[in-house]
Amino acid sequence: MTKLHRHPRPAAALLAVLCASAAFAGTVTVNATTRAGTAAEDTVIVFDPLDAAPPASRNEAIIDQVNKKFVPRVSVVRTGTTITFPNSDRIRHQVYSFSRTKTFDLKLYAGSPKTPVIFDQPGLVVLGCNIHDSMVAFVGVVDSPYFAKTTDSGAVSLNLPPGRYRLRAWNPNAVAAIPAREVTVAAAPLSIPVSLDLDPASAAPAAWPE
Amino acid sequence: MALRTRIAVTFILLLAAVLAAALGAVSATNHSNAEREVQRQLNVGTSVFSRLLESNRRQLTQAAQAVAADYGFREAVSTRDTDTLVSVLENSGKRIGAAMVVLTTLDGEVIAASGLHVTDGAPFSLSPEQKGSLAGDGSTSLMVDNGRIYQLVTVPVRSPLPVAWIAMGFELDDKAAHELADITGLAVTLAVNSGGHWTDVVSTVPAGAARQSDVVARRIEMSKWGNAEVVAILSISLADARAPFERLTKVLFLIAAVSLIASAAAAFWLARNITRPLQDLTQAVDQMRAGTYDVALSVQRGDELGVLAEGLQLMQTAVHSRDQSIRRLAYEDSLTGLMNRTAFGAALSQALAGPRGAPIAVAVINLDRFRRINEHLGYSVGDAVLTKMAARLAAVPSVEGAVARLAADQFAAFARLRDAAGLQAWGTSLVMALAEPVFVEAQPIDITATLGLTLAADAAATADELMRCADLALEHARREKRALAIYEEALKPAARDQLSLLGELRHAVEHDELRLYFQPKIELKTGRVAGAEVLLRWQHPTRGLLGPADFIPFAEQTGFIRRLTRWTLDHAIAQGAEWQRAGKPLGLAVNISVEDVGDVRLDSRVAGMLTRHQLPPPLLTLELTESGFIEDPTRAVRVLDAVAALGVSLSIDDFGTGYSSLSHLARMPVHEVKIDRSFVQGLESDPEFASVVRSAIDMGHGLGLKVVAEGIETEESAARLRDFGCDVAQGYLYAKPMPLAAFETWLEGRERVPVIAVPVDFPAEDLTDTVSLGVY
Repeated sequence: MTKLHRHPRPAAALLAVLCASAAFAGTVTVNATTRAGTAAEDTVIVFDPLDAAPPASRNEAIIDQVNKKFVPRVSVVRTGTTITFPNSDRIRHQVYSFSRTKTFDLKLYAGSPKTPVIFDQPGLVVLGCNIHDSMVAFVGVVDSPYFAKTTDSGAVSLNLPPGRYRLRAWNPNAVAAIPAREVTVAAAPLSIPVSLDLDPASAAPAAWPE
Repeated sequence: MALRTRIAVTFILLLAAVLAAALGAVSATNHSNAEREVQRQLNVGTSVFSRLLESNRRQLTQAAQAVAADYGFREAVSTRDTDTLVSVLENSGKRIGAAMVVLTTLDGEVIAASGLHVTDGAPFSLSPEQKGSLAGDGSTSLMVDNGRIYQLVTVPVRSPLPVAWIAMGFELDDKAAHELADITGLAVTLAVNSGGHWTDVVSTVPAGAARQSDVVARRIEMSKWGNAEVVAILSISLADARAPFERLTKVLFLIAAVSLIASAAAAFWLARNITRPLQDLTQAVDQMRAGTYDVALSVQRGDELGVLAEGLQLMQTAVHSRDQSIRRLAYEDSLTGLMNRTAFGAALSQALAGPRGAPIAVAVINLDRFRRINEHLGYSVGDAVLTKMAARLAAVPSVEGAVARLAADQFAAFARLRDAAGLQAWGTSLVMALAEPVFVEAQPIDITATLGLTLAADAAATADELMRCADLALEHARREKRALAIYEEALKPAARDQLSLLGELRHAVEHDELRLYFQPKIELKTGRVAGAEVLLRWQHPTRGLLGPADFIPFAEQTGFIRRLTRWTLDHAIAQGAEWQRAGKPLGLAVNISVEDVGDVRLDSRVAGMLTRHQLPPPLLTLELTESGFIEDPTRAVRVLDAVAALGVSLSIDDFGTGYSSLSHLARMPVHEVKIDRSFVQGLESDPEFASVVRSAIDMGHGLGLKVVAEGIETEESAARLRDFGCDVAQGYLYAKPMPLAAFETWLEGRERVPVIAVPVDFPAEDLTDTVSLGVY
């Protein structure tokens, strides 16, 4: 966990970008809770703008491997983002993906891999390590610049330009897909509750909302 | 049953029972052991079978997981290229020995398959049971495809999340079944239910063998899913399980049979070993019993039988010597060594049974006055005399004969003579042999012998008869005071008469054949009739009138005399009473015998008769001989006292001949004495007798008794007796004994001595009157 601090959290980075470009934007807070009323952490929240095309940007992200775990386990990146897979363990890992969104295979390596991987198509990518079956990571690739991941309180806040959005939500432990919905953002702060049906033991995640 | 058989049979039966019990127990134990063993084997086998399947499943699962985790495989799966997939599946299947590999979607639909036949025609998808849980490591189940049974292992394919199922089928074929059978030790049969019909798919035993009656089987449901209802039948043959126990039982039976036969042989041998000597001993004992005492007891053994044989041998010797001494005692006279009477009788009988022709003579020899030798010279001299006499008798030559000592001074001899004429000569030679004086301790002893001789002329003569004849001849010789007498028929008593006499006497009493005779008694001084003696005669139907000598001695010997006395008394008293009633009383004297004096009830009998006939007691006199009270004087005195007390007179008959002591006489309640007729007869021939008779008369008077003389035949005797003071006389001079009628005639006109009434105490009251009749 010590190495975690060396890398800025993606959500915080995004917020900084958003705040800088649109001061007039409204604050939207999404509260993801389970049916049982507990916080649904690591829920991916995506706002797809329906009125105007989002601005393009080049982005980079890092998915570390610490203690035979991908950190973070769930990532959301914009289409075209380059993700680097450093290996913080003293053992080698072989990171691969057979997902159609992005199929790749990083041969066994230690330290930093030679080449980063560019996630150039939207969709869900499931990452694994060929020699450690228990290592699984999820990368959601979205076209929208407005996305976030709920914290351990199950909530996350975004500053969105006013306008209409399609709200998508996904959680790796969700039993079923969460239907997308339309949300209109104004200057006033908006709070959106998202209810999920989670099963921590679920082996197969619900389908990625396209 | 013979001892031998009994011993042997007992042994064999006992052993047979023990063996049967042992075999029965072993057999039962074996049987239950086999059952238990089978159950145990089945339990263990079943448990092993389950573990094997479980272990097999785990191994297969691991193998399947290894395949599913292979990167290349996962890569191939992710390509979704069917041809590639099928070849990958074939390759993977081969790698781990799976006969069938099926790749399905997570929903169970077939993506690609290798070795699967079900898909031909019908779509195939894995059932939820076959898939198992995604979270788990996969599942195992059984599947029947194309008539084969597969162990189906299904594991998820992860990349890295589960994306597909891969199911691998391992066929449970004969090889697998045999492996299971080898390990469990049970026969393994796998059967499948198809449409309600069970089919044995694989089996390590011939078809149907697992369901036979002598097979114990366990049915294990392996899978009940869908078309694969599969059971495993684990079985074991009871016969196989029992085989070793049955072999053991057979061996035991064999041992039992052999030991039984061996024991039987041993028992028979042992029994024979015991019983054969016993038989020998029994035979020996039988011989001994028959009188053979030189039996060799040939049992040479150290055991009890040997001891028994030895004991019998000793017993034989002892019995033999005892037998000899008993024979000596029984047949030999111990003093002289001659035969005794028994042996002599036997020898004589044997001689008589011999060839006829030459007659056999028998002699009975009596040494005269031998008692005197014993008395005067002592028994040792007597014995010496007897011994010498015996030797002399034995020395008399005879063709075939024997000499015996019969009694103290009596010998006997028999000899086979050439002819009957030789009898006298033989007898004389015997007499001559004994006639020489005998010297005992240099002292001559003169001794003579008397012989009785007889000849076995009659072919039917027995030894007993001959001895008796010789005895009679001896008696005759003694009577005749001759040295020798030969038996003749005349000497033979009427034995037959003797035998029948008793019966005839009884008849006589009961049928009035007896008669009373009366002989008068005359008072010498006056010549008046003083009374009469009543005498008995027997009017025998065939032999005529018999005198007392013909039957009284016999009656005395047989005890019948009492009956005769009673009869006489009764009739005499009746007659006396008749005369008394007729006014002509006469005293009557009745003889009583020694036997009667021994009868303690004599007085009551007499009293009863007197009472019945009403005769005054003084008219009755009882005469008895001196011997009558010599035998038991005390009792005689008691009886006679009682009689005298009745008032009856008592008279002593034959006074002077006996040994009566005066003291006895003085004590007796006697009223008169009768001087014996020998005195009276002597009175006439010998003047010396006169003084004896006189003394006797004086003695009687001195004792205060009346004196009666009998047997008077001459006037001269009568006169002399009268001179001597004799009171009463009786004899032929006056009258013979007469029957009643003659006597009454005789009495007529004669003067009688008046009878003086004597008051008497009668036991019966009613007689008082009679007594008071007073003067007679």
